[in-house]
Amino acid sequence: MSMTVLDPSFEEAAAPFALPERPRSLAGGTVGFISNGKQGTKGFFAHLERLLRDEWGVADVVYRTKKNYSAPAETELINEAAGWAATFAGIGD
Amino acid sequence: MDGRRRGEYNHGVRFQARTLDMDDDDAVQQVYRERGWTDGLPVVAPTPAKVEAMLAYGGFTPEQVIGFEVVKQRALTAEKVAINAVLAGCLPPDFPVVAAAIEAMCKEEFLVHGATASTGGCAVLLVVNGPIRRQLAMSSTFSVLAGADRASVCIGRAVRLVLRNLLEVRPGELDRSTLGHPGKLSWCIAEDEEGGAPWLPLSAERGIPDEVSSVTAFAASAPRQIMNEWTTDPVDVLTTVVAEIKSTMLHYSIWAGNYAVVFPPQIRAVFHQAGWSKADVRQFVYDNAVVHRYDWERVGKAAVVNERNRDFRYRALPSPDHLLVIAAGGEAGGFAAVIPPWLGPKSAATTAAIGVCVDC
Repeated sequence: MSMTVLDPSFEEAAAPFALPERPRSLAGGTVGFISNGKQGTKGFFAHLERLLRDEWGVADVVYRTKKNYSAPAETELINEAAGWAATFAGIGD
Repeated sequence: MDGRRRGEYNHGVRFQARTLDMDDDDAVQQVYRERGWTDGLPVVAPTPAKVEAMLAYGGFTPEQVIGFEVVKQRALTAEKVAINAVLAGCLPPDFPVVAAAIEAMCKEEFLVHGATASTGGCAVLLVVNGPIRRQLAMSSTFSVLAGADRASVCIGRAVRLVLRNLLEVRPGELDRSTLGHPGKLSWCIAEDEEGGAPWLPLSAERGIPDEVSSVTAFAASAPRQIMNEWTTDPVDVLTTVVAEIKSTMLHYSIWAGNYAVVFPPQIRAVFHQAGWSKADVRQFVYDNAVVHRYDWERVGKAAVVNERNRDFRYRALPSPDHLLVIAAGGEAGGFAAVIPPWLGPKSAATTAAIGVCVDC
């Protein structure tokens, strides 16, 4: 017997947001790392810092850690990241 | 097959969901399975009439927002929650419990995004209190932690399907659980308030007035069963419980948060005969569920013990009130269950009244 049924999924479009312009160069700039605070981020970000400084000419690297590794970064952190040339967010599982 | 019409059905109820025209129930099962809308088990076809009946029972309107998930910025409407409740096999009288569970899980302190996405792989334990337990014929006794009755199974499943279909909490998508546990299919229990007397129900201890039904949501790891049937001393029983909690702190996570303990009748009798209240139980566990960082050395975690932190002391509970003491279980057996949190303080247990607002 034919029937009509309803879609159980979320159908509304995601709220639009604009991607920032990609940086043309990182040379001389400040790059930020946002860690989720787990142990595994330490080695990864340390290695990444060396690459960024040696191969990409990054002048400064800022390390920040989210207060809750299972929640989005706090507003203050997002606002601070707006001043960086680039941001790397990583998990350390 | 897919329609885009959003029309009026049955007595003028207007739904926003897309409609799909199916040849028969076999087609429904196939299409919903292929689109990832099911957990693998068969579903009940969510026809407009069934969804309308679900909404009408509790006096919900389709556009009513049951909860708002802040990370995805998504409003979970009564219509969409009801569609998933029908899918799960709920009957209309179950729906107010499902709605209250979603409301509880969308409270900020529950952190539904983290709790359902985490590699930690917790499930959501729902504990129902109040008169609605009897109305739905929920069982609080035999095999209580394993889906003991129709309503418990369907309500727990409905919440999982809401997570799956409205927030993309599917394994490998938002759900990044390394292992997970069987409670992620459905996990809803009712407290044995009558059998638990003179203990207060969990709901009363969490501020819900008498005769008001409620649901408590707890982001929880798998239950760990303990046994001590060789004593009539509450201290002995709780020493076993505390040993299990300390084991969890060492083997899993050391961080303090909510824990739940489930006590069946045989163990409850030990407390009742000694005059111990739930508050007494909580205080004992708070005082004694303590480990040191150096304890990690003997369970293979010496790599994160150092001279600076080795003498640090850790409690399982931030306060005695963080222990959820639940009366439930079959009549015979000196067993109890310790249910650890997903991960310490990251998510707090939350409670919502069913069908009424108690703080507005």
